[in-house]
Amino acid sequence: MRLVGRTVFAAALLLSWSASAEETSLTVPIIVPITGLLALEGTSQLNGANLAIAHAPPGLKIKAQTVDSGTAAEGGANALERAVGDKNVDFAVAPLFGTQVLAMLPVALENKMPILAPTGTGPVTEQGNPYMFRLYPHDAISKAAHIRYVVDELKLKRAAILYNTTGYGQSGFKYMSDYLSKLGGEVVFSEGVDLTAKEISATLAKLKAAKPDVILIQMHSASIAMVIKQLAAGGVQIPVVGNTTIAMPATAALLQPSDLKGVCAESAWWLEKGANPMTDRFLDDYTSKFGAMPDAYAIQQYDGLMMALTAVKSGARSAEDVRRYMSTSEYQGVAMSYKSDGKGNLAHSVVIVCYDGSSLTPKLVKRYDDVVAY
Amino acid sequence: MLRSAKLRLVVGLAALCALASWPLVMSSPYDLRLFTLAGVFAILAIGYQFIFGYVGELSLSQGAFFGFSAYVTGILAAKAGLDFAETFLASIVACVLLAVLISIPVLRLASHYFALATLGVGQVLLLLAIDWQSLTGGAIGLSGVPLPKLFGVQIGRGWPLLLFVWSFVLFAAIVAHQTKRGLYGLACHVVRQNAVAARALAIDPDAIRFAMFLLSAAIAGVAGALHAHTIRIVSPEGLDFKVMIACLTMAVIGGRTHVWGAVAGALLVVHLPEWLRGFEQSYVIITSSVLILILILAPEGLAGFVDRILPVATPERTSTVAASSRPSNLPAGEGVLMPSETPILAIRHLTKTFGGVHALNNVSFSLMRGSITAVIGPNGSGKTTLVNCMTGIYRADAGEIVLGGNEITSMSSDEIAARGVGRTFQNLRLVEDMSVLDNVAVARFRSEEASLGKAMLTGRRDSRLERARSHALHVLRQFGLDKIADARCGSLPHGIKRLVEIARAICLDPVVLLLDEPAAGLNESEQAELAGHLEGLAARGLTLLVIEHNMEFLKSLATHMVCLDYGELIASGRPSAIYQDERVVEAYIGRRHAAELGA
Repeated sequence: MRLVGRTVFAAALLLSWSASAEETSLTVPIIVPITGLLALEGTSQLNGANLAIAHAPPGLKIKAQTVDSGTAAEGGANALERAVGDKNVDFAVAPLFGTQVLAMLPVALENKMPILAPTGTGPVTEQGNPYMFRLYPHDAISKAAHIRYVVDELKLKRAAILYNTTGYGQSGFKYMSDYLSKLGGEVVFSEGVDLTAKEISATLAKLKAAKPDVILIQMHSASIAMVIKQLAAGGVQIPVVGNTTIAMPATAALLQPSDLKGVCAESAWWLEKGANPMTDRFLDDYTSKFGAMPDAYAIQQYDGLMMALTAVKSGARSAEDVRRYMSTSEYQGVAMSYKSDGKGNLAHSVVIVCYDGSSLTPKLVKRYDDVVAY
Repeated sequence: MLRSAKLRLVVGLAALCALASWPLVMSSPYDLRLFTLAGVFAILAIGYQFIFGYVGELSLSQGAFFGFSAYVTGILAAKAGLDFAETFLASIVACVLLAVLISIPVLRLASHYFALATLGVGQVLLLLAIDWQSLTGGAIGLSGVPLPKLFGVQIGRGWPLLLFVWSFVLFAAIVAHQTKRGLYGLACHVVRQNAVAARALAIDPDAIRFAMFLLSAAIAGVAGALHAHTIRIVSPEGLDFKVMIACLTMAVIGGRTHVWGAVAGALLVVHLPEWLRGFEQSYVIITSSVLILILILAPEGLAGFVDRILPVATPERTSTVAASSRPSNLPAGEGVLMPSETPILAIRHLTKTFGGVHALNNVSFSLMRGSITAVIGPNGSGKTTLVNCMTGIYRADAGEIVLGGNEITSMSSDEIAARGVGRTFQNLRLVEDMSVLDNVAVARFRSEEASLGKAMLTGRRDSRLERARSHALHVLRQFGLDKIADARCGSLPHGIKRLVEIARAICLDPVVLLLDEPAAGLNESEQAELAGHLEGLAARGLTLLVIEHNMEFLKSLATHMVCLDYGELIASGRPSAIYQDERVVEAYIGRRHAAELGA
């Protein structure tokens, strides 16, 4: 009896050892802004990353390491420098804040460490850094679809542009202005709005005086919600086509359905329940775990991190292996198909969604795949 | 006290060892990066101490200079491809030029107006950085700032960059030490504690504030340039008010005037959030709580806290200064000079109004060399206004004041003091946390021609400070105060403080000394002692003007007396005649009472 017991114990030990031997251990630093003005977006990003870790391919033993990057330029770079000291780190999740990603690039390059960031800010993939992977469409791409929809579908060409005076806002403004002029339109009014502004009635008065036929917006969540609310309160009947933040559930939740009537937005994602089991699993688990619908930052971060984890599962054993996989492979995520264009831009699909005024959930009106910049 | 000095030495050495071994023990690239950034912010905080600590002005533009310098470096290095030596120098010069430009309107302002105006500078620069996209890269900023390259050698990340940055910390610390330790540093301290007293000692607070503002900007320029090279990007975040708040926190937490306090503050403020990041969202609250706790336990900062528990042993300067060698410019001999009939200072038709009130109306009289002239009059008669006009604190609306044949009416207080008009104050204006010796010695600032430039070039021994202290000690000896020369003024009784203030004015070598109620708060024996000193000064040729209510004190002291009432000179003459003058009696006790008294 004792012998049987010892044999069973030894077999169990052996099995458990072999099981652990098959597991690949890795640490995933999640460097995101979870305090400060970008906390809302950063928390979505963090949620998406955490769900990806929960959904990681079997056989991966993952230790997530969340680090707040705040809003200081060096916040992300400091965190990455700390993260690369861990031998189990082969890639890192980087913040959505373009300026922080730019500061992280030299650290990533010197340590040969891939970083995955859901940022649209143009210059991050224009530095010739092979370790940078952008999970969100480049502004050149998303704004191309944005303007194509306005000019080709809505047939509107006299635009007023409101944007935040941040890297994100200015980058979007630049591309929208350029593309509009290339397609024969004109910007009749434009104004940069500070991220902390709470009231823009003077700006709206000037905007109305310029008589635009469409209002284009490139702003962060809190700002765009404030603008949409004030446009609705002011009875402004001009069509609005905004950026992805107005399509985010957390932003829409700040408004009434009537405020959003007729408001459209470009976005990098469109998830529909029942489309496929992968999407359903993502939506179900996300809503049950975080009590809210996912937004673009959550979805894109989920997809990007799943792609990197798939690389590890596929045999990537070093940061260089992960970089090679991310640079050359195609990955089908829940939002879209991801493939690098050689510069680290992985996302190339854009959708246009519109609110009908009856709910806080927009409807898909147009999909642009493999969009190219003008 | 000796034990405290030894303990301070031990603590100081331990702190230095800890500082030196810190990057050796915590030597990962991440730790080295943080230590390098702490060095950058230590430079910024040391620079901020010049304006905020040494002269006590709440400037909120230090962050703006820091960010501006980073942009200059970023633009010149990343866009124009210039070398470190060029970009570094250009960044500092640009900051100093900006500070000069700002100081023209801003340094005229005081207290919260100064703070708000300097805050505005940062906001303007921030808007420029965001909107001038072609130059600054807009809100995204400029990336690709290279590592510093010196004499063809690139300073690598990690240890080389750390040592490079900390060599500038050492440089900034030396500049701060040189500024603080000499006669110039004492003058800064007086300016911070009491600018009016500084002017009365022929120290120009505006010039010192200007110099400190520029020095702050220059050191912020050093920090900003190094920051750009360290994080390799410049962006509007560098001009954000958060940088200014971080700088202010470092200076307050560390200590406003101690170099090592700035270094400790920077190390703490840079490292604390990093150490606590594991707490995710809560780390901001924990960091703030720790900083608040430090401020509660050590409101004077970490450096001040150390000073409190291990007080600085005051060296017995009375034994170290060259007391035996008599300063050459002290009056020789102890002979008695009789008052002459030559007016040394003449007041002609002096008028000063405040709104519709004539504080002084057409007042004229003269002070004869070696005389003791008393100015009397009821409260509100214009006595203090008269002294304030004579010393340049108020500008007279009409009339003139002539000193030794030269008009001084429109001169500034410090210029008037430099020309030989010393004064004391009705409410004492001594620097409480300075020793008696230094309170008096600082009056030699102008005579010793102390300046920031000379302070920088001072060697191990500061001969100017030694001469000033030697002179001060001689003056203190005349007043019998040499035994308390090393005591802090704040610890002295009121009567002694009065004498110290007079001694300080005497240390200026004035030709005229104006005393505003010198006997106030003194008991009879102290009054008698004071009167003896004043008579002695007059006997050596010094001209005195004394404002006083105490008639007994003046009776035997004054050689001449003038009486003011409602801003007008109603009587002038010998004290015995003034005491009998009807108008004087009326002014003091009222017309009806005077009539009753006469009857």
